[in-house]
Amino acid sequence: MDAYIVHLERLPALFNAWAKDSALSVPSATPEGFYEFIPWNGEAEIAWDYDLIYNPPKRFVMPAKETLISFDLKDLQAKPVFEAPAQIVFGMHPYDVKAISQLDQLMELGIPDQNYLKRREATVIMALTPQSVAETAFWASVGAEEVQHGFDLYWTKIGPASFLVEVGSKKGEELLHAAAPPTRATVSEKEAARRAKIKVNQFARRKQLLYNWEETPRLLAKNWDSPLWRKNSETCLACGSCNLVCPTCYCFDLVDEVDDKLETGTRSRSWDGCMLTSFALVAGDHNFRPKALDRYRHRYFRKGKYIYDKIGELGCVGCGRCVRACTANIANPLAVFNALWEESTHAF
Amino acid sequence: MPFKKDFSPYVPRPATLKEKKKLSELVTLFTFELDNGKALAHRPGQFIQLSIFGVGEAPFSVSSPPDPSKQTFELAVRKIGAVTQSLHAMAPGQKVAIRGPYGTSFPVLDFVGKDTLFVAGGLGYIPLRSLLHYQLRHRSEFGRIIVLVGCRNPQERIFTDQIEELTARKDVEVLETVDIPDAAWKGNVGVITTLFPKIPIDPTNTSVAMVGPPIMYRFVLAECRKLGINPNNIFVSLERKMKCGVGKCGHCMINDLNTCMDGPVFRYTDIEAYQEAI
Ligand SMILES: Cc1cc2nc3c(=O)[nH]c(=O)nc-3n(C[C@H](O)[C@H](O)[C@H](O)COP(=O)(O)OP(=O)(O)OC[C@H]3O[C@@H](n4cnc5c(N)ncnc54)[C@H](O)[C@@H]3O)c2cc1C
Ligand code: SF4
Ligand code: SF4
Ligand code: FES
Repeated sequence: MDAYIVHLERLPALFNAWAKDSALSVPSATPEGFYEFIPWNGEAEIAWDYDLIYNPPKRFVMPAKETLISFDLKDLQAKPVFEAPAQIVFGMHPYDVKAISQLDQLMELGIPDQNYLKRREATVIMALTPQSVAETAFWASVGAEEVQHGFDLYWTKIGPASFLVEVGSKKGEELLHAAAPPTRATVSEKEAARRAKIKVNQFARRKQLLYNWEETPRLLAKNWDSPLWRKNSETCLACGSCNLVCPTCYCFDLVDEVDDKLETGTRSRSWDGCMLTSFALVAGDHNFRPKALDRYRHRYFRKGKYIYDKIGELGCVGCGRCVRACTANIANPLAVFNALWEESTHAF
Repeated sequence: MPFKKDFSPYVPRPATLKEKKKLSELVTLFTFELDNGKALAHRPGQFIQLSIFGVGEAPFSVSSPPDPSKQTFELAVRKIGAVTQSLHAMAPGQKVAIRGPYGTSFPVLDFVGKDTLFVAGGLGYIPLRSLLHYQLRHRSEFGRIIVLVGCRNPQERIFTDQIEELTARKDVEVLETVDIPDAAWKGNVGVITTLFPKIPIDPTNTSVAMVGPPIMYRFVLAECRKLGINPNNIFVSLERKMKCGVGKCGHCMINDLNTCMDGPVFRYTDIEAYQEAI
């Protein structure tokens, strides 16, 4: 993989050049004390050492609400609506990049979802090696500490004011040349980046899965009837926060809206969550997952088994957002998987 | 599968309501024709997504059999919520929009040369009717046709005149029951499984197609097991909440299956091991 060196003082020029044709978002601290991707305004303070972006970056490729079709109420003709603004997300941590790569695969699978795919195609992702690890994060123990694809450029801070930038796509490389041409990285600079990654990954590994994450689907398969599901879900508020903050959750609802004159309208999708009571509720009041236990277990099976069975990756990238979002303090995949491991016999 | 870049699976196409016929207090039969002049080209057991723009979209089984000589197709819909209420309020000539057909179908060839046992609980008769009428049109290719129909009460019976016609035929065996009879009801009383002892079934040569309320499957499967019917020859159609119909929105999942694409029709042995299925 090609790699370049970029010095900090060159960044404003690069950012300004990119922001001309694309909506550029950068990580920044919010007044509330969180971190968020905010639009680049020419001078925003970049939070290089952020630990976790508050909202999952899936919103860039699958907004919380997105129009899918427009229709005419008179002749009932409908047209697809594709919105795919050119955008660059700078500074995404690898686990979040991985989450988006999963969505890429799932949206392509079977009947491709062009609304997603077009938006994704117009999105440039610049990964950033983390310098801090959120208290609740465990990405290094689920194989999400580094990514090999899914990014256009991959930035790693290797000195007080210098970055090694790995190239993931042609588009990424072109963007890097948008201002003055960057210099190629030397062998020792590449080594410095490798060490920077190892260092943070080692630190992140303090939150340990007790087994190799690839065993998770088999662990779950054996534990459908574990008492853990009931015990943990007893205090679930069915608030759906764990779904909303999860970078790999993509379930949605469809909603119609019409204009005041009742002539035209749109149908949009909006994020939904399998933890909400209404998720599997049908007309006539039959609920296919009536109990908190059913919903709670389904969520962990999706993360740990169903997604894996589809694409060979764990559907949880260990960002730790759900752990933080859950007021009942029960949404912790690491704790769930470890508890199941501890209570199971391991005659695989 | 090659999909065009501008293909959106979410775009329905207009269809016109041709006829309306009340089947019971809450259920009405609707005959539609696509405005593009093409046939729906569905297989028995498949469903469509019907849109009433501004209200929403809901899945319905196609109740009519595939019929190359016809452009129209039929849906039988129970009035129960937003979309179904608006549909019931429509008059012939008005339009809706349709996506699909979607999902799996009853594998017609699996039924050829065998006896078929239809088990229809309540609205389950609606999707089964497609397969049943297909078989009746190709009557000689199938063995005995046994139809068990169960309803909560006599008022909720649907397709009563068609069921009467079937009962009169020599080549179809129909048994009906209701859970709660009224004063006028002269037929069987009891849940649908009480019909099983009333009819001789050859377990070695019978395929089963069953659709009904969620609670029904377990009991009917137990009867089939008692009779010794090969579970490979049992087909069920399962209902789940559906939104997208194309395997994306997650609402219809049975464990990791998407009922909208992997179902709604399943061979029983394919879903036996799925805890959320039956
Ligand atoms: C494969 C399949 C075939 C069906 N076939 C028939 C049929 O032939 N005749 C019939 O009367 N009913 C059928 N149903 C049930 C029918 O879809 C619901 O009665 C209908 O969705 C209710 O919509 P509503 O807007 O009137 O109700 P509301 O309660 O207002 O529902 C709002 C929305 O929730 C979703 N929803 C609610 N209930 C269901 C449900 N049971 N299944 C899936 N989505 C639901 C729909 O998107 C619906 O528009 C079928 C369901 C499925 C899944
Ligand atoms: S399940 Fe929790 S920790 Fe895992 S990816 Fe989703 S939000 Fe992050
Ligand atoms: S965030 Fe916690 S309380 Fe809320 S639905 Fe998820 S598990 Fe339940
Ligand atoms: S209805 Fe959306 S996945 Fe099946």
